[in-house]
This record gives sequence, C-alpha cells and structure tokens, in this order.
Amino acid sequence: MSDRLLTASAALAEALIEEMTRDERIFILGEDLTAHAGIFGQFKGIPEKFPGRILDTPISETCIAGCGVGAALTGMRPIVDFHFSDFVTCGMDELCNQAAKIRYMFGGQVKLPLVVWCPDGAGLRAAAQHSQSLEAWFVHTPGLKVVVPSEAADVKGLMKASIRDDNPVMFFQHKRLFRREGPVPDDPDFVIPLGKAAVKREGRDVSLFTYGSGYFLCQEAAAELAREGIEAEIVDLRTLKPLDFETVAASLRKTYRAVIVHEACLTGGFGAELAARIQAELFDFLDAPVLRVAAKDVPIPFSPPLEDFVLPRAADVVAAARSVCNR
Amino acid sequence: MAIEIAVPKLGLTMEEAVLVAWKAAPGARVRKDDIVLVLETDKVTFEMPSPGEGLLHPLVPPGSRIAVGQVVGYLAADAAELARLAAEHPAAAAAAEPAAAGLPAAATEAPPAAPGPAPGRVKASPAARAIARAHGIELSGVSGSGPGGRIVRADVLAALERPRPSAAAPAAPAAPATLLTVLEDIPITGVRRAIFRNMQASLATQAQITLHTEASAEALLRLRQRRKEAGAPVSYNAVFVQAIARALRRHPRLNASVEGDRIRVWREIHVGVAMDFGGGLFVPKVRHADAKTLAEIEDELRRLTEAGRAGRLTLDEMSLGTFTLTNLGAWGVDRFTPIVNPPESAILGVGRIEEKAVAAGGEVRVEARVALSLTFDHRIIDGAAGAAFLQTVSRFVAEPALML
Repeated sequence: MSDRLLTASAALAEALIEEMTRDERIFILGEDLTAHAGIFGQFKGIPEKFPGRILDTPISETCIAGCGVGAALTGMRPIVDFHFSDFVTCGMDELCNQAAKIRYMFGGQVKLPLVVWCPDGAGLRAAAQHSQSLEAWFVHTPGLKVVVPSEAADVKGLMKASIRDDNPVMFFQHKRLFRREGPVPDDPDFVIPLGKAAVKREGRDVSLFTYGSGYFLCQEAAAELAREGIEAEIVDLRTLKPLDFETVAASLRKTYRAVIVHEACLTGGFGAELAARIQAELFDFLDAPVLRVAAKDVPIPFSPPLEDFVLPRAADVVAAARSVCNR
Repeated sequence: MAIEIAVPKLGLTMEEAVLVAWKAAPGARVRKDDIVLVLETDKVTFEMPSPGEGLLHPLVPPGSRIAVGQVVGYLAADAAELARLAAEHPAAAAAAEPAAAGLPAAATEAPPAAPGPAPGRVKASPAARAIARAHGIELSGVSGSGPGGRIVRADVLAALERPRPSAAAPAAPAAPATLLTVLEDIPITGVRRAIFRNMQASLATQAQITLHTEASAEALLRLRQRRKEAGAPVSYNAVFVQAIARALRRHPRLNASVEGDRIRVWREIHVGVAMDFGGGLFVPKVRHADAKTLAEIEDELRRLTEAGRAGRLTLDEMSLGTFTLTNLGAWGVDRFTPIVNPPESAILGVGRIEEKAVAAGGEVRVEARVALSLTFDHRIIDGAAGAAFLQTVSRFVAEPALML
C-alpha cells in the first residue's frame, strides 16, 4: 500500500464513496449538493455515483438538522452538510437538545449515527458570519463527539470513523484547507479511530497541542523554532471529544512545557479546557505556565488586513514557545 | 507590574533602619540579587539584594529613617512604567524631607506580614519542585534562571549534576531524600550573617595560635564572697575584664589591629565581652576598661547585659573593640580555643572554676583553679609576647589585689 497525494476535499469524497459503497444506509443531506457536488465541490463524483443518496434541501438548517436526527433515530446513517459551520446556530436545538441527549434520555435503547459536517474557519475574507471556529460550543455539550481534522489523511480516516460511530459527531473541516494536498494511504480499510491524537513531529523542548488549521501554524513555527535550537513536538489532537489525554500527557512528560494553538478565539476556547486539565493532572510536569495561541476575541473582520491581524500566526506560536522555553 | 522594594525585617527587634545608600542610580537597570541598597540597623549593616530586575525608582533619599515593611522604591519593567511611577510617586530627589514625616505614614501603609518578595518562598516551577523532591535537593540552594528568578527544571538538573559529598558512597542504597531532610531552613542574614562573615574572616586572615594556662581561683572566690557580703557583688567577668585591661596596659602589642601593611597599636583599651541572649552572639564593649574601677566595670557589664536582653544594644556599643573576653565557665567547659574577633588581634577564653589537687612545696592540697586560654594573631604577636601577657593576666586573676 502506498500513499497518494490528495486534497482534503478529495480525501473527504473518497471516504464518503468508500463508506456509501460499504453501507447503503448512508446518505447526504444539505443545500445545493447535487448541481455542483457541494458548494466547495467537496462531494465530487457522489451525485453521479449515488443518485438519490445525496439530497438537496430547502434553506433551513433547522429542517436539515431535524431530518438528520430523525433519520438516524429510525435506522439510517445520515451525513448532514451545514454549508458553513456558522449556520449551526439555526440547528442548535436539534443538535444540542435532541441529538446530544436522546440516547441518554431513552436509556440507550436507540442509536444516533449522525455526522454533522461543518466547514469552518477564517481566512477566506468571508466576514464575521462565515468565518467562525465553533468547536468549543459542542465540546461543552455532553453527548456529542467533536472531530477537527487537519491533514487530508486525517479527513479521510476520521470521516470514516465518524460515519461508523453510533453517536452524533460534529465534524469541523477548515474551508481554507480543502485544496491543501497531503499523502493519503491507498487502503480502503484506513480508519483513524476517534479519540486518538497523533504526534506529528517529535521534539524535546516544548509541546504544541493543536488541531485543525492550528496544525499548519505549528508546523511553520516548529521549523522556525528548530533554527533557533528549540525542538518543538507537535501533537495533533484530531478529536477534541473524546480527548486523547494520554498522548497529551506522554508529550508533556517529555517536554515539560505546553503551548496550545487553535484558530478559535481565546476566551472559553478549547485551549482553556486543555490548559485546565494539564495543570490539574500534570502539575508536577510543568516547567512553565501553559500558554495559548488563538484568535483575538472579536468577530472576524471583513477587511483583509484586519482579518489577518485577528487570526493567530505562526510568529505568535514561535513567540509563545520561546517564552515557555525561557529564551 | 513594578516590583516593590520594601525594607526587610532583619531581626526580631528590628522596627526601623537607616537607608545608608542606594547602590544604583535612579533609572539604572538593576538585576535580581544585585545589591540595590544598604541598610543600617542598630545591629548590622545589611546590603540588600534586589527582589527582581528592573529600572530603579528610589522613593527615599539616603540617610532616611525607614520602617520595616516600608516601600522605599520600585523596579520598573520598562521606561514607560518608570515614567508612570515617577508621576505617581515623587522620587527621592523631590522628596528630600519625608525622612521624619515618612515614618507614621509608612506604618499604616505597610502590610504587617513580610512585604515584597517573601524571603521564605522559593519561586520554582512545579516540575522543578517535583524533581527536587524526588532527589532530595533543597531548592533554596539552587539559583533560578527562569523569568523573575524562577527555578526551572534545568536549574535543578544542573544542581544534580554538581558533585555531592554522598556521591562517593555508591554502596548506600537509601535515597538521599530519606537520609537528609530539612528540619529548619535558616537564612544567613542579619546578625547571623555578621557573625558568619566575622568568624570566616578571622580564620581566613590571621595566623592564630592558642596558649593555655591555669590560675588559682581561690583569691577570686574570696573577692567575690567579700564583695557579696559588702552588698556590692561583682561578676567573674568584671574581674577578668579588669585583669585583661590592666595586663594590656603592660603588654600594649596585644591591643592592636592590622591595617594594610601596618600594625596599629591602640591607645584606648576597649574590652568586648561575648554574650548570647539566645538570638546570636553579641560582643558589647567595656570602654576604657583600663581606667575603670572593678565597680565601674561591673556596673557597665550589668547595663550592657540588660540592654542585650532587651534587644537594645546599639551598633556603637558593639563596634570598635580592641580585645575580647569569652567565658564558657558557666556551661561547664574546662578550656577551649577561642577565635579572635577581627579586627582585634587577641581574645581570652575562660573555662570553669574547678577544685583540683595541686602539688606544691612537697605536699598536695585541693585548690580552686580556672583555665585561661589566649588566642592571638601570630603574625604580629610573637609567642613570648603572648605568653608574657597571659602570665600577667594569670597573676592578676590569682591575686586580684595586684591590680589595685
């Protein structure tokens, strides 16, 4: 088996095609899906290959989410496309009050195999209502799983695992990374289990805990840090819930220093949760305060210079890493 | 955040001090643990290390009397903060007179507990603490390289690398942590620091030799008895001080100090008496002891002892001695080799008075005896000169009437 270079979009489509071929209960539901294979072309080949299993809906996220929950409850394995993750607010009751709690409230008598596909993230000059990173909201909702892949292979492996999971999964895929290519294993059985982080770069001086687009900031920062003699370890969390805290702990026990990097804004972000757990469970392994690198606490501006100013940059990661390394 | 420079409490009885000098100019960058100012208390002169790093903004001019806990200056993180501090707190130059007025204000402002950087709390990262704990390393002995002097993991690892005395015994299986744990952690400051430096300087600079002899204490005991019956008791130390002072007059070379390449023989004879009131060693001086009667010496010793017990001995009373008496007789010590109190050049140690069998004139009789041990700086005092002085002291002790 060898790796091929695929874009994140192609990796997603491949995962969907493989899974839909394997299990005919899987179908896709969302706005504007069939005419252009999704507004980002992310479902390329699927409308032709699986006519009737990729469905266009009215412009109502409440309706889409509700259909997804109902279909999942009644034995189907739906994937709902939220178009922009920002629109998830219109499906909040369906997702947080229904999907997240139904298995619990029915005493485990039902399954809810629903994947909520949420293209998220900034950098496309799409302004405040089309640029957010909202994963922390769902991490805060017991009953939901939250997946935020970074590289193409992660998109494929995690999507397959999400589809196969019997619980509702919020799947956040960054819009700006759709065209980014990465090696993807040529193996139809390639699945990345939920709750498994990956150490994607080994280092002894500082752990960079990240996910989604933050991973690429960390890669850039690690290269710069290496030139300065600081060896950064990059841990791509991949799944925020369930969280692979064992991998986090193993890394911190090696480096004694942590920087958490995400594109979502700072306050109440996932970094706060992770920092809290690190200090509580790994106190004796901390040689410096845990620092966070995140977007500023403002709506994402439409102005390109302002948007760039608000988003975290690799230089911010470098500065934070230097700081905890006392350089 | 600006770092406060607050006056530390250097001793139990310390309430105030004089800020003698700032060791850095206003606006100058001071690093942590650099000497930032000099304090003079009634007991010691203290060179205060900086609690942190920053640009100095002094509030109080040199010569001011300041209260314990009073904030006397700040360390600004940068020039902007320095400017803000200058605006909020008038600087030393602008506040030339608050020396007197500053005291009551400071008493209400200053927090009662240890102000500024608490000296007992070592700043260390959790990882550094965990490793230090596992290896039985005392963090107070490790210097921190992290922000604000924080001890980080690397500092403890470096400390572990340094050779340790116990490393020579590889057979010992027990962890050092269980063999050596700290019961009490005492900073070497204040009076202890003064003693520490003095004792070290004593043996490091002088070539000290001790001569021992023994004198009859019969006359001494009789003198004490008579005085007691007469309602004017004297202490042993008063007699020893007088004996020393009178002997020094005959042997002035023992009443001397080395200054540079000269031996300074002093005209005045100021005999210090080592005292311990439980808070460390103090050596108040009996001034012009050679010109004082036994009763005057007794009065002076009594006054100094009371002042010492009350913690009121002044720096003046404890400086500029020319010879020291140290008496361990009350503790049942037979004899010992005292260490000279520099810049003096000689010290007399006195042991306990004990009845002994003495052979004299073909017969053995029982007599009270006292051991006298003279330590002196052999660089400037030859053996014969030292022995002659000790012989004179011994004779005066054996026959106090000779001093009259």
